[in-house]
Amino acid sequence: MPRAPRSPRRPVLLAVAALASFAAGSVATGSDVEDVAERTVVTVLPNGLTVLTLEDRSTPVVSFQMWVKVGSRDESWYTGLAHLFEHMMFKGSKRIAPELHAQLVQARGGRLNAFTSRDYTVYFEDVTSETLPLVIALEAERVANLDISEKTLASERQVVLEERRLRSEDNPNGRAMEALMALTFKAHPYRRPVIGWRSDIEAATVEACRRFFDTYYAPNNIVISIVGDFDGGEALAHVRREFGRLEPAAEIPRNPTREPEQRGERRVSVHFDLRGPILMAAWHAPPTGHPDAEALDVASQILSHGRSSRLYRRLVYEGQQALYAEASYWELLDAGVFYGVAGVRPDASIERVEALFFREIARLRDEPVSDAELEKGKRQLEVMLVNGLVKAHAVASRIARDTAAFGRIRPLAERLEAIRSVTVEDVQRVARTYLVDEKRSVVQLLPPPGGER
Amino acid sequence: MSAARRALLVLGPCLALACAAPWSRPIWERPPPPSRDGPVVQPGSLHRTDLDNGLRVLVLEDRRLPRVSVGVTFRRGEAIVELAKAGLAPFTAELMKRGAGSRDALALARAVDEIGASLSVAAGWDSMSVGVAGLSRDLDRLLEILADVVLRPRFERAEARKARGEQLALLEKQKDDPGTLVRWQVARVLYPEHRYGLPFEGTPASVARLDARAARAFQRRVMLPNDAILFASGDVSAADLLERAGRLFGAWKPANVPEVGPTVPDPTPPGRRVVVVDRPDLVQAHITLAHEGISRTDPERIAAALMNSVLGGSGFSSRLMARVRADAGLTYGVWSGFALRRQPGPFAVGTFTRVSEVRRVVDLLLGELERAREVPPDAAELRDAQTLATGRFALGLETPDAVIASLVDLDVYGLPEDALDTYRRRVRATTTADTERAARRLLHPQRAAIVVVGPAEQLTPQLEDLGAVSVEQP
Repeated sequence: MPRAPRSPRRPVLLAVAALASFAAGSVATGSDVEDVAERTVVTVLPNGLTVLTLEDRSTPVVSFQMWVKVGSRDESWYTGLAHLFEHMMFKGSKRIAPELHAQLVQARGGRLNAFTSRDYTVYFEDVTSETLPLVIALEAERVANLDISEKTLASERQVVLEERRLRSEDNPNGRAMEALMALTFKAHPYRRPVIGWRSDIEAATVEACRRFFDTYYAPNNIVISIVGDFDGGEALAHVRREFGRLEPAAEIPRNPTREPEQRGERRVSVHFDLRGPILMAAWHAPPTGHPDAEALDVASQILSHGRSSRLYRRLVYEGQQALYAEASYWELLDAGVFYGVAGVRPDASIERVEALFFREIARLRDEPVSDAELEKGKRQLEVMLVNGLVKAHAVASRIARDTAAFGRIRPLAERLEAIRSVTVEDVQRVARTYLVDEKRSVVQLLPPPGGER
Repeated sequence: MSAARRALLVLGPCLALACAAPWSRPIWERPPPPSRDGPVVQPGSLHRTDLDNGLRVLVLEDRRLPRVSVGVTFRRGEAIVELAKAGLAPFTAELMKRGAGSRDALALARAVDEIGASLSVAAGWDSMSVGVAGLSRDLDRLLEILADVVLRPRFERAEARKARGEQLALLEKQKDDPGTLVRWQVARVLYPEHRYGLPFEGTPASVARLDARAARAFQRRVMLPNDAILFASGDVSAADLLERAGRLFGAWKPANVPEVGPTVPDPTPPGRRVVVVDRPDLVQAHITLAHEGISRTDPERIAAALMNSVLGGSGFSSRLMARVRADAGLTYGVWSGFALRRQPGPFAVGTFTRVSEVRRVVDLLLGELERAREVPPDAAELRDAQTLATGRFALGLETPDAVIASLVDLDVYGLPEDALDTYRRRVRATTTADTERAARRLLHPQRAAIVVVGPAEQLTPQLEDLGAVSVEQP
């Protein structure tokens, strides 16, 4: 992300041509929820740019998002290049001085930022409607005319190194996560930290940034979504005029590497000056959009959503060993991860935390979950889907992500149906399929040996 | 055809399409169009009533989605807690989540989780708040849980032992976070002898003293209907909610409201204090410069906020961000701001940088603070800060929950009910003379305490000539 936390304490700084019906998804409760996303107008420009427009005049906000289908998985030489490049998108273009893009949007009260993940690079502006034409012009300007100079790269490289120190090198969770991904993936580029290794951030060149830009920032590799208080026809005309002149790329190269099967547990200890050790674990899981996704989501709800969840009860409440304990299914394009983390109390033992954590994973494999837990987990997921309709920004993210990943927007009704059809047997089956001991990777983040901090 | 005639022909359709004529300046060089000041809430959707026992009821109807949030906020918090029991408000809040009415901790958690709802009990310096949120079809259950937690918390001793153990463990674990270490040290330096001088969560000594009896006493003292606001937003009917509120909360007995406390803290004394918290392992030092600030109700708070926005409160657009990040590449983020509480909380400027550059960054921060006094915001800077503030205001009120939270906050601090409606007007009415006065009154670089967390061995030599450096352990 180009923008830092406002304060160190509270980090700030975060889906063809068709017009769908008004079909309403019905939450298990019987109350009908209209899925506004089904009113999305999908337009594909001749140069391949996909534009999603969804008017909702009941909100005072319009969210503009540009999802570029490139992430750290696509880097071929310098790790961290996708993220470093994202920073450079704020450093000026032919007609816009460095930093001016952000200043212009902020001076109109807009909220803007960008983030890079393993699969995507996303730029967004949440504004009031009168600022939307400016936002469209500014986004098109930097995609058409980005200017990367030695001078701006030199200073921004230092900014990114500070970001790396903040998030990874001095941050216990960042350290542990870096170690976990490097352990879980031996071949696939998901093993690299999104921010990149220090040596690569220090070495990346202007030429490499330009090549990356030319390769991946093509209109046929971009999805734009606009949601909220705006006029769809006008906005579409603006987007056509500003983005229509961009040339499509003949081909978007993708990394061919796939992760070979893991045969045997992997384990590493990382030493760090800290009082509360951290346990992290990961299992290989299916990529995004897989039919087992909902069962894995239900499993993670049963494990760690709310104070009646299994991990909270065993590790935090009854065991008094951890301050938090969570598990979640993490969907990525090429390969998913089922991820676990526990914050060990300074007065407790990480070995005990690990034993308790893995006992709960084993229970999911060995015993069917109760009907009450199943229903609870499903209900929580349904409510989360409804909560995702509250803000224009969240809706814009959902429709852009779906479109980038699947080429379509998955209707709420479809997703509710997938959640509702999960059975007790499904949860046990996915636990037995994916959450096996021989396929897990374990990181213990510990104080240095010798008892001295 | 004359040139003028041709121009008209081109101009016509362009105007109709609201597009940029080819000879006009690009859109980013044109002044921003005026923002539309729509009403903060839809007319007729907000309802305010006081029950006989003094309980204020605020309901914001918004039927777009089948969701509802309900809660009760009290106008007292950790600030009235005596030093020896620091951390009592968050301890009480935690304990209130661990059993109420006929349900013990686990039964309460199940009642919330099985309907996909959330329960929060939050403590602040100046308020305590209990909130539940979920689907509107579950309103009966949500209100039943709310009433139980507010009126019938169990405060079991076994739960108090566990909660105390967790709070102590958390205090220890928080030392792993350099940002927390900076915050604690800034508070200690600025507010000796005052409640603001100890961590919000308390100290190991004060938390060790907390038990179920203390929590119950605090809850009885603070949670009074005549010092509370019951709020609801989302898919509810105001008439229906009022009727239910009367049934659930009408018999709740009022009592004397405790003094606001604490006494007003002293301003930061003259002279420079430099404190280093020793964390030898860190590669990046966290830096904060701080002195006393203003209260939430300070009459000059809007001028102060706009002045601060130009200095370091506006992210990418601030002078500090331009100087320390964009020009020098010395940090990933830098900010400044006032902690607005009932009594003046700290004003602070914070950032982080590689250990070797700490002195350079401290000098830049001090320099920008001086410059903010000597060269206060000019007309263009102020205008951008004003449009930023009014635009953000609209964005910040996107959801009914956000609107009701803002209204409750105004009530907690006794600010005018119409403050949201008048906010944008007050921002626009602020002049450069106002922000200049605010800068001169509120910024004091000469007596700002300098607190740095990192390896003392490398930091102390960099800072020594600024004043005597005291080195503290985490």
